[in-house]
Amino acid sequence: MRILRRNFWRNLACAILLAVVGVSVAANWLAPGGYAKQYREATDAGPTRQHWLGTDEIGRDRFARVLYGTRISLLLAPAAALLSTLMAALVGGLGGYLGGRWARGAMAVTDLFLSLPWLFLLITVRALMPLNVSPLASVLVTFLILGLLGWTSAARVLCSTAGSLRESDFVRQARASGIRGTRLFWIHVLPNLKPVLYAQFWISIPAFILSEANLGILGLGVAEPMPSWGSLLKELEGLVSVGEEPWKFVPLLLLVVVVTSFQLVLSKQEEVSA
Amino acid sequence: MKERSPSEVVLAAHISVQYGDRSPVLRGVSLEIGRGEVLGLVGQSGSGKSTLAMAILGLLDRKRARAEGTIEFDGCDLLKLPERELRGLRGRKIALVLQSPLSSLNPALKIRTQLKEAWRAHAAGDSTDCEAAIRAALQSVSLPSTDEFVRKYPSQMSVGQAQRVLIAMAVLHRPALLIADEATSALDVITQSEILALFRELNRSFGMAILYISHDLASVAGICDRIAILHEGQIVESGTTVEVLTNPRHEYTQRLMAAMPKMPREVAARKAAAI
Amino acid sequence: MMDVQTKLAGMRTAARKAITVSIVLLGLLGGSAIAQGGELRFCLRSEPKTFDPLKVEDDASVAIRYLTGGVLVRLNRQTQALEPELAQSWKVSKDGKQITFRLRGGVSFSDGTPFSAEDVAYTVQQLMDPALHSPTGDAFRSGPGNVDTKIISPTEISITFPAPVAGLDRQFDQVAILSAHSAKKEMAVLGPFMVADYKPGTSVLLKRNPNYWKSDAQGRKLPYLDSVRLDIQPNRDVEMLRFKRSEIDLINSLDSEYFDKLASTSPQLVHDAGPSLDSEQMWFNEVAKAPLPEFKKNWFRSATFRRAVSEAINREDLSRVVFRGHAQPAAGPVSPANKFWFNSSLKAQAYAPDAALKALQGDGFRMQNGTLIDKSGNAVVFSIITNSGNKYRERMATMIQEDLQKIGIHVNVVTLDFPSLIERMTQTFDYEAILLGLTNVGLDPNEQMNVWLSSSENHQWNPQEKAPETAWEAEIDRLMRAQASSADPRTRKESFDRVQEIAVEQSPFIYLVNRNALSAVATTVQGASPVILVPQTYWNAEQLSVKEVKSANHTGY
Repeated sequence: MRILRRNFWRNLACAILLAVVGVSVAANWLAPGGYAKQYREATDAGPTRQHWLGTDEIGRDRFARVLYGTRISLLLAPAAALLSTLMAALVGGLGGYLGGRWARGAMAVTDLFLSLPWLFLLITVRALMPLNVSPLASVLVTFLILGLLGWTSAARVLCSTAGSLRESDFVRQARASGIRGTRLFWIHVLPNLKPVLYAQFWISIPAFILSEANLGILGLGVAEPMPSWGSLLKELEGLVSVGEEPWKFVPLLLLVVVVTSFQLVLSKQEEVSA
Repeated sequence: MKERSPSEVVLAAHISVQYGDRSPVLRGVSLEIGRGEVLGLVGQSGSGKSTLAMAILGLLDRKRARAEGTIEFDGCDLLKLPERELRGLRGRKIALVLQSPLSSLNPALKIRTQLKEAWRAHAAGDSTDCEAAIRAALQSVSLPSTDEFVRKYPSQMSVGQAQRVLIAMAVLHRPALLIADEATSALDVITQSEILALFRELNRSFGMAILYISHDLASVAGICDRIAILHEGQIVESGTTVEVLTNPRHEYTQRLMAAMPKMPREVAARKAAAI
Repeated sequence: MMDVQTKLAGMRTAARKAITVSIVLLGLLGGSAIAQGGELRFCLRSEPKTFDPLKVEDDASVAIRYLTGGVLVRLNRQTQALEPELAQSWKVSKDGKQITFRLRGGVSFSDGTPFSAEDVAYTVQQLMDPALHSPTGDAFRSGPGNVDTKIISPTEISITFPAPVAGLDRQFDQVAILSAHSAKKEMAVLGPFMVADYKPGTSVLLKRNPNYWKSDAQGRKLPYLDSVRLDIQPNRDVEMLRFKRSEIDLINSLDSEYFDKLASTSPQLVHDAGPSLDSEQMWFNEVAKAPLPEFKKNWFRSATFRRAVSEAINREDLSRVVFRGHAQPAAGPVSPANKFWFNSSLKAQAYAPDAALKALQGDGFRMQNGTLIDKSGNAVVFSIITNSGNKYRERMATMIQEDLQKIGIHVNVVTLDFPSLIERMTQTFDYEAILLGLTNVGLDPNEQMNVWLSSSENHQWNPQEKAPETAWEAEIDRLMRAQASSADPRTRKESFDRVQEIAVEQSPFIYLVNRNALSAVATTVQGASPVILVPQTYWNAEQLSVKEVKSANHTGY
């Protein structure tokens, strides 16, 4: 019975994800007006038959923007989260597993990354980039940067976890079985870091989506007129109450639903292995 | 002690181990294990038993522990062997079974994966060979070799089963020497006796020498040919099981003997009467 | 000059009429209409950096100076005319170097120290003291040398500057007179209020100056208010919330979104005073040594191109959509709010994409698959930079992006943090177009000299030219100098009108909109009449009063 129920939620989550991906892929047909067209006679409007989710401040169809924004964010945020998770596993996990000098080195690198003045570094990155960057390239670079920067706190946790794994009985047993060092790491250490890695991955996705929006301040992030979840969520900044214009919360709702669904789908494996 | 020819000896250790500047953990310990022999190494915790096991496997922390002496195995000195060759011996020629079966198995992996990894570490062969070897090893420890069983995670097994899995893993490559480090200490009495019987059985059928390390003289007595008593980093007494048990010479051995549980006299008498 | 004078005269008549009317009203109401006393409360958006009127630079300190400082002349924020205050009359010499003031007698500082010409001399010497680095003094430092003050009598003084000072008399609107003798130094003031308490980070409390010299038409002493409480509150959301809770009485400048929100619930609280002096504009990089490809420089340095871009921008839409109607399409460099200096023959550029495209085609550009291509086959693509965090500018840029797409020009919108933007704008010249706003404080063209002279640093599209690089820039230089050297308002206006026309013809700056001055004033505040000039709501603070607040409003939380 319990399994059945769990399967139900899992299937629902799968269905939601498929629907979201499907709808965003079909954006060209579902929102033929495109995400950039400005309906200047109907700005900041509520939902109508023509604009299902109303229009934004300069009259762009919010439904189209949500669909196209989903494409960008749903593709790039998990990719960046994956990148940062791998970095964390590599630096923290491997450093902790190798122990001694390596662990100290890994922590030194992590501390260095944590202490770097990122703001200035990002400004420099923007200065190095040409001004005429296509909106897509800009958002790609942004997520790449996020992926390359977002791993540090997880690396610290991984380093200490891997350090204690190194001393564990099953690693000793595995070494006594003659299993090679690198194999030992992949087979025995990494799978046991999974919970931390999963957490890093899931925390990163919404965090990156929001950071992308904030990096707009430095001229990074998605550029106008292209939408992303981050830029759509920015609309909520000045909003005082939910009741007034509930349709503006659709991007937030979508973010929550998608992240939850992902978690449901993927936590299944984790549950079994635990 | 009876002298043996070198070919009869599987392992001969003369070793001292010291961690940093602290007093030595092992002080000139000499130990010989004959082919197919079961040697019991008895000592209380902290006497250096596990250090000896780790030293034999070359798994001492090389930066912190300093080992001096020789460990002769198969005609070469393990202390002088490079890591790469040592790794080739571990699990293939010398195997280890640790105390706590559940923590000695990786909780994140199915047991098949763990057995497969142990097999792959020393054998090149396709998956059929691997499956066959795993099946044989599981059968030899009286575990089911069904698909359903090997797909289990360690948390889904009993402690006794887990210990058998560990032993199966250890005998996968038919090692010449098996080191059992407190291998039965964490088990309940019945499981303990079953596992002891299994060791004896494996020792007989594979001709595999066993270094049986334990703090518990009673459990050692059941399976060992010879016993060595380790006290404060030194072997204080060694001899055949019968010799040591019937005529303990060293004061520490005597204390160990005295600490062994005995049946109350009246119960023993009544039992005798009943028979 | 004639019509100007008539205009001013007309205004004065109007003002007098207004006073008469109000006296009549007062008579009818038994003189109790204007409540004496009360406390006016509003927010400063930052910590005041100083109470010394000569060192003032930041907005918060400017506000305090305005309320506490006594000045010789005051620019009436409503009529935009210069009016006598501590000086009863004044005279500027023909060469623009010397000004002579005849001072009001019988005036004392807040601590009782009598006011005389000595104090004016002391203030001016301090103002011009190079060691003090007075930002207010910068406007007077037009050439090397020392200022000369000559006290003719206790009520008459003549001040001679080493070089002519543009709009000399108007500049004294900013100079609060210090006491030469008072032991309380700058805390002894001549304005309607004085600083009574300052809690850093929290508030500044101003109390009425009992020695203030001014009285109203009935001979009642000004100011009416007992005190002014200035809360330091950088967060505009909080400011708005406190206004709604009646914890503060006015908001000096609102943005259009807040304005509309407030207007939808309480339209009696908001005031749209019409277009302000502030303008939003964009410009192309015309710097010869800029790190841009030659073909792009050729576009940007072509007036046809710049004008075409200007024509293809829909200013009506920008005003209507981005500012929700609280802005007007800009006609040129001077806002119509600047009553005297605005060239009224200029009209805002109408949206004319077809004409723009035609002009571009005449200049060798052609359309190809919806993309504009220049003579040498390069697609017309450029970036517009604006400062990030300003959603109005971001939205304008995005709308311009769509407008220009219609004539085949592809625009990339880039938002940058302010320091990076300024670095590109003034140091590296690594930009193509910039969209920014310009805040105009002064009304006089002399205050814009630094923008129009081609040799100036702030000649933004091509700063610090050694010699004017184009004929029209040379002409603007000539006209600006001509108006500066003339004392005759009519000739000055003629020159400056021409400057405005050239600026529109050549479009080095593409003027987009003039934002309206939006403010909010609680109904308990009496006598308020928000204007477009800073300080919009409390420019007539001495005439304001606050009705007793019913206790019910205070028990709201």
